[in-house]
Amino acid sequence: MGAFYCAVCRQTSFSGKGHIFGKSHQSRLRVVLLKFLEKVKEARRTIKKPQVEKFDGPQHENKFWCYCCGLEIERNVTDGNMTVLHGGLLEHMATPEHKKNTHKFWWENKADPKLRDKVIITEEEIERFKDEVTKVLDTCVEKEDEFIKQQADHIRAQEKQRQEVLQSLIEVCFPRMQWQYPSLWPHYAVSKISRGSHFRPQDQQAGPSWVDPMVDVQWAGLGQALTFIGYQDSTNSGNVHTGAIPPWLQDDPLEGSSGAAAQPEIGPSLQDFLKQKEQEKLRKLPPNRVGANFDHSSHTDANWLPSFGRVWNSGRRWQSRHQFRQEEGQTNRHKRKREHGTDGSKKTKTE
Amino acid sequence: MSLFLPKLACKKDIDEVIKGVAEKVVVLRFGRDEDSVCLQLDEILSKTAHDLSNMASIYIVDVDKAPIYTRYFDISYIPSTVFFFNGQHMKVDYGSPDHTKFVGSFKTKQDFMDLIEVIYRGAMRGKMIVQSPIDPQNIPKYDLLYHGI
Repeated sequence: MGAFYCAVCRQTSFSGKGHIFGKSHQSRLRVVLLKFLEKVKEARRTIKKPQVEKFDGPQHENKFWCYCCGLEIERNVTDGNMTVLHGGLLEHMATPEHKKNTHKFWWENKADPKLRDKVIITEEEIERFKDEVTKVLDTCVEKEDEFIKQQADHIRAQEKQRQEVLQSLIEVCFPRMQWQYPSLWPHYAVSKISRGSHFRPQDQQAGPSWVDPMVDVQWAGLGQALTFIGYQDSTNSGNVHTGAIPPWLQDDPLEGSSGAAAQPEIGPSLQDFLKQKEQEKLRKLPPNRVGANFDHSSHTDANWLPSFGRVWNSGRRWQSRHQFRQEEGQTNRHKRKREHGTDGSKKTKTE
Repeated sequence: MSLFLPKLACKKDIDEVIKGVAEKVVVLRFGRDEDSVCLQLDEILSKTAHDLSNMASIYIVDVDKAPIYTRYFDISYIPSTVFFFNGQHMKVDYGSPDHTKFVGSFKTKQDFMDLIEVIYRGAMRGKMIVQSPIDPQNIPKYDLLYHGI
């Protein structure tokens, strides 16, 4: 028999044409036809009253699958601005090819013949549809034009309001200005008011908005109240405009020898830093250790002695130093005395 | 042995060392380089000097070179070892009559290291006299004579 691919069931069957009479195929066919017919019914409803909508875009670019022809067809017809809903569907259904395909599909799949005619749209129907569509299109275009006109009116009204507000402001300021600068203002005021009166009859056109000349002259007038600090003579040192070196890149005249002395260094020197490190370490040591407050760099004279608790002393350590010095002194005296004594005795003897 | 340990030749040097060394035990060995017991002690000192370098600084003093200290510290037997910490004299109770200095040599290097550690810890805690960790059998015996002045 050969392989036979059924598009409705999306299956390949090897049992030939017997597949079509099977239950699953028929049930699937029914479902498919139902869905298809729904779409067609909706389209038929619009034959008498075509729907034409303004907007375009993703909403209206739908495609639908025609089971009879096996093609994807645009559902709506659009030309950019307007869309005729279901136009594509109806058009396609009217084509003779579609008619032929529908017959073939019905014969091959053994579907219900009553439903077949529903899927085809006759020529008369399509003609009627087209007429209706043109009528509806005209009305739509009219509506669009009206809408645009309304918008223009609205804009014009807003513009008019704005001008009136400006005028009222100027009329308020105008007397004051006249008093301060009598020579300048009358000319401007007169021209402005005349222009304003010209403006009113020309309602129909949307005129360009122009900058109020009064406002410009006001700014220039206020500039005359600045303080004058004198003419800056920069012929010697140069200017921004002449391309001179800016002051912050020039050498400082207050500096010492130019270039020879290094910039004053910021921060502690190396020695100070090392000392600081040592001090940090010291801080970690217990504070009640022996000699914690001993000043290691204090200068002592030549006969300094450390506090040493001597062997045959009783009492405090620092006293031992004292005692030692005393003993030293006594021994010296003893020695001297003995020398003196011997000398003296010698002398007396000789004498 | 004593070639590797720094030598102090005069009172000024000794003063500088006692005042200068900070946060470490100052070990002053008083003796003569030729004496046999001194040689033993010097060997122990030099071999442990590196290991104890964070805790102690060890110096060699010849008793003949600084007589004033010899008298001041009452050094009668050599070698005698005196300990200081931050300019303060550290006394140690060895079980011997004299607490102010260690007389003689140590039996082992470990004894000396233990002693230094005990002195260091005591000093850190603020103690100016500490108890020696050395076994009293290993402490050299001597008689302390009282010299009438």
